[in-house]
Amino acid sequence: MTQKQRLNPEELIQSIKDMFTTNIQDARIEKRTMGKKKTEFYHLWIRLDKTIFKEAVRHLQSLDPALHFAVSSGYDLDDTIELVYSFSLYHGVRHQEISVNLTVALPKSDPTIETITDLIPGSLISEQEKQEMLGIMVKNIPKNTRVFIADDFPKGVYPWRRDETGPKKLIRNLHKEKI
Amino acid sequence: MTKSLSKSFKKALWVYHMNSGSCNGCDIEILAVLCPRYDLERFGIRLVGSPRHADVLLITGPVTRQMEGKVQRVYKQIPDPKVVISVGNCGNTGDVFFESYNLVGPVDQVIPVDVYIIGCPPRPENIINGVAKAWMKLETLEVKT
Amino acid sequence: MKTTGKTTYQLPIGPIHPALKEPVMFEFEVDGERIVNVNIRLGHVHRGVEWTATQRNPIQVLYLAERICGICSYCHPMAFSLAVERAAGIEVPERADYLRVIHGELERICSHILWAGVAAHEIGFDSVLFLTWQMREKGVDLTEYLTGNRITKGITMIGGVRRDITPDMHPKIQEALQYYKENFKKLQQVFLDDKTFQMRCKECGVLTKEDALAFCAVGPTARASGVKKDVRLDQGYFAYSDFDFDYITPDIHTGEVHGDVYDRIVVRLLEIQQSIALIEQCLDQIPAGPIVSEPNIQKLLTKLKNTSGEGIGRMEAPRGEKVRAPTYNNILPWIPMLTNQQIADIPIVASSTDPCMSCTNRVTIVKNQGTSFLDKEELHRMSIQKTRRLCP
Repeated sequence: MTQKQRLNPEELIQSIKDMFTTNIQDARIEKRTMGKKKTEFYHLWIRLDKTIFKEAVRHLQSLDPALHFAVSSGYDLDDTIELVYSFSLYHGVRHQEISVNLTVALPKSDPTIETITDLIPGSLISEQEKQEMLGIMVKNIPKNTRVFIADDFPKGVYPWRRDETGPKKLIRNLHKEKI
Repeated sequence: MTKSLSKSFKKALWVYHMNSGSCNGCDIEILAVLCPRYDLERFGIRLVGSPRHADVLLITGPVTRQMEGKVQRVYKQIPDPKVVISVGNCGNTGDVFFESYNLVGPVDQVIPVDVYIIGCPPRPENIINGVAKAWMKLETLEVKT
Repeated sequence: MKTTGKTTYQLPIGPIHPALKEPVMFEFEVDGERIVNVNIRLGHVHRGVEWTATQRNPIQVLYLAERICGICSYCHPMAFSLAVERAAGIEVPERADYLRVIHGELERICSHILWAGVAAHEIGFDSVLFLTWQMREKGVDLTEYLTGNRITKGITMIGGVRRDITPDMHPKIQEALQYYKENFKKLQQVFLDDKTFQMRCKECGVLTKEDALAFCAVGPTARASGVKKDVRLDQGYFAYSDFDFDYITPDIHTGEVHGDVYDRIVVRLLEIQQSIALIEQCLDQIPAGPIVSEPNIQKLLTKLKNTSGEGIGRMEAPRGEKVRAPTYNNILPWIPMLTNQQIADIPIVASSTDPCMSCTNRVTIVKNQGTSFLDKEELHRMSIQKTRRLCP
């Protein structure tokens, strides 16, 4: 593959730290071994400020143009909503892939984040899903419609929220229903 | 059962299969029933592409919010006399999905169900048994109309 | 009648349509027989699994995850348990890792053969559907022999598997593998050398390598476009790093990559062969030892309740990498694939990614619960709720 030199996990973290210095809140390397041969593989967990999130994705893409966006997930932590974007770099050579998970915290008072669809078009559905499930706003998202929940689903109800905007009123309690 | 079945073999039974939010488990078992190992087609039972041609509605899945109206519409499109078979636990009771916010089912909350086939997913033998029961019911309905 | 100007028509297909096995809605914009644009609506099978999962304890979630999709009913709970194991730092015994590979590859064989049958059906070749599904029954029988169930396997346990494969079970597995090896030639003749298949599938539904990368395609769909991406190889999970195998791209068979439907058939068929070889290697090398790290479920639950952390479980499911359902990623590639195709080709192109709507519409349980957070408060809250449910 015609790529720049592959960085190892430590170098990768260092390059991100060098680039964004103070805006990186936490970075750790999760090393695992698998099988009888104890082959090693790595997951990087980086927690960063949302202001540099998009730049960080752009940086990853410059390290590996074939950067793969796996999925983004999110959860409600009372005051903030945290999003985890999972990427993987350097696929295509055995045991060389590195997973990078970027965690971004969004305050509930301003739950907005930049879209990355211009960098990775494949992230569209995942971003739409976060919008409808968590009630966040993805800025400049090219297609602002619902994908999973119905159009007649009540507005202002976000299934993955744990506060008053959660789906509490819509659920059924097995022990109260008479069937 | 054998006696009543032999009577029913006069006519071929046409089945419309509809997925109302199922996990595919039941759907592939229904297909397996029609494929060579179990070969239900030898009795003249076959899947049809339109509810308007069908005698039986095989419905899988717990009926999600989006599918509610569509299930009712398909049910109305099937000409009388008709029989509805709910295949699989989640269509019968809601099963593991019961509490979910996006469910309006189980199926019998949306349309009347005649035969329930239990299992998650039901074994092919069980589906065949259920279809045979539906057949007998259809026979009695035909006598009435 | 409008006679001047270019007019396109809207052609909605779905959510209920004979050519679609599962509810999904396409809004096609067609100009004569050519598709100009596609809009895809999902969500008809959305059952809110992620939310439901937050109401259960991790072991209950395994069974919920199993019911996300009936065809990959092994991968979902396995990906979840992988995430939980990583979050909680549970070491899986080596033997369990090998057993997990066997079950995973068996599922891949069944899934690919199932897909081949459906693909044949979509181009109106029903005799081939029956042929392949007859072959599939052998694999389903073996699944039942090994796990006790035909479809939902119930074999996963956090920290291992629930049933062992003892040496006296090996002959039956080998017999089934032998059956598939013998019949592989037949499949190859029917799918790869047959003129009808070539005419329908070549140059049809092309997904270029650039598009595959841009839209994050995964699994056989990506590999058929020449993207070397396979989590089993990129990151060896379970015991995959111990085995000898390689990425499968269509050029192995045809010498070149087109990224069309035919290439996707090639990749899947060759992967069946690969899976057979993997199971054989596995049976040869399987070490002795326990099959689960903590057989006592109560103790396991207590341990999980006292753990916090985050983990992610990535797996190569039959249809592609699974953290979220693979179809999730393979839906967007539909748009370039479908544009400029004929209406009659819709079914085969759409199904050539082996789509699974129920997978797409829900997964990410791994994200909401397992992958992301198993924090103490949350688990504690869940546990209280559970108790309340049991003793109202």
